[in-house]
Amino acid sequence: MCLENFSSQIVEKHNKPEVEVRASKELLLTPILISRNDKEKVLIESSINSMRISIAVKQADDLEKILCHNFTRFMTMRAEHFMILRRKPVEGYDISFLITNIHVEQMYKHKIVDFVIHFMEEIDREISEMKLSVNARARICAEEFLKRVSIQMYCTSIPTL
Amino acid sequence: MSRNDGKKDTSASAFRKIDVDQYSDNNFKEEDADGGVGAPTGPDENEILTLLSQDTLTFRRAFTFQQFHYEIFLNTIIKGKNAEALISVLKSAPLECKNQQVKDSARNLTQKVLLSIKSNQMDDCLAQLDRDLIDVLMKYIYRGFEIPTEGSSSHLLLWHEKVFNISGVGCIVRVFSDSKRA
Repeated sequence: MCLENFSSQIVEKHNKPEVEVRASKELLLTPILISRNDKEKVLIESSINSMRISIAVKQADDLEKILCHNFTRFMTMRAEHFMILRRKPVEGYDISFLITNIHVEQMYKHKIVDFVIHFMEEIDREISEMKLSVNARARICAEEFLKRVSIQMYCTSIPTL
Repeated sequence: MSRNDGKKDTSASAFRKIDVDQYSDNNFKEEDADGGVGAPTGPDENEILTLLSQDTLTFRRAFTFQQFHYEIFLNTIIKGKNAEALISVLKSAPLECKNQQVKDSARNLTQKVLLSIKSNQMDDCLAQLDRDLIDVLMKYIYRGFEIPTEGSSSHLLLWHEKVFNISGVGCIVRVFSDSKRA
């Protein structure tokens, strides 16, 4: 994560993250993809003044898909509070971080790395926890509902007796 | 010379779309390392597969019969010349080649070799490699993650750990920054 200030080569007085504009090939490093399987993977793209880390989260079923989508949406809508979060994930991934030289100057590098690693560890657990609580809630709701139904059926069945 | 002597000239705006930067002299140019005839063509698939299965004769015969079922042989090897196969693929890796197809086939072959080496044989294989070959190996480990198959990623992570123990962070940084991509 050796990022330095680098102004645009094409437009005067502009300073853009080179990993996003991809204007000149010599400023980009080899993108690296690390995958556990075809669902869970991390793509690391780096350039002279910025790097992009994209994460694809495991989504086994529809419920996990919805949870993951809502969770990442919640995060990306508040992206400016998360500093390094990219507002839109890279195509094919669920969430992306965009780290620029400014972040590296303002914050500790090792803390940023820790944050990203911590995030990756947490997101899986978070989603499985949410899945469990959604299921538990659904079970309680169903129970309550069926209780009412059975009482009602009981009540309506009394006069006929 | 008047600028407005023809109506055509004034209405034409195509010149605005011309990317003048491409004519600039101080642009970055990629070195054209390889030419036509002398271009590296990547590792010889037959040779590698022969090394992987030590029983050359059976292999050759079967290879002509079922050309595409050589994976079965890879799986049935108990003790092949895996280390030699690894060295051979790494030495002939088409790193400077521009043809993506050649690179991909080399990648697939290297992946096959890497996966056919058992985790307890890894150390012996790595001991036979020199530093340059280990760098090439690291490139292929990272490329291998791009085509995940059943159980391949955990195997590659094991490779990665062993290579990292030998040559450290420098090896990873060289993968990042080398323009000769695997």
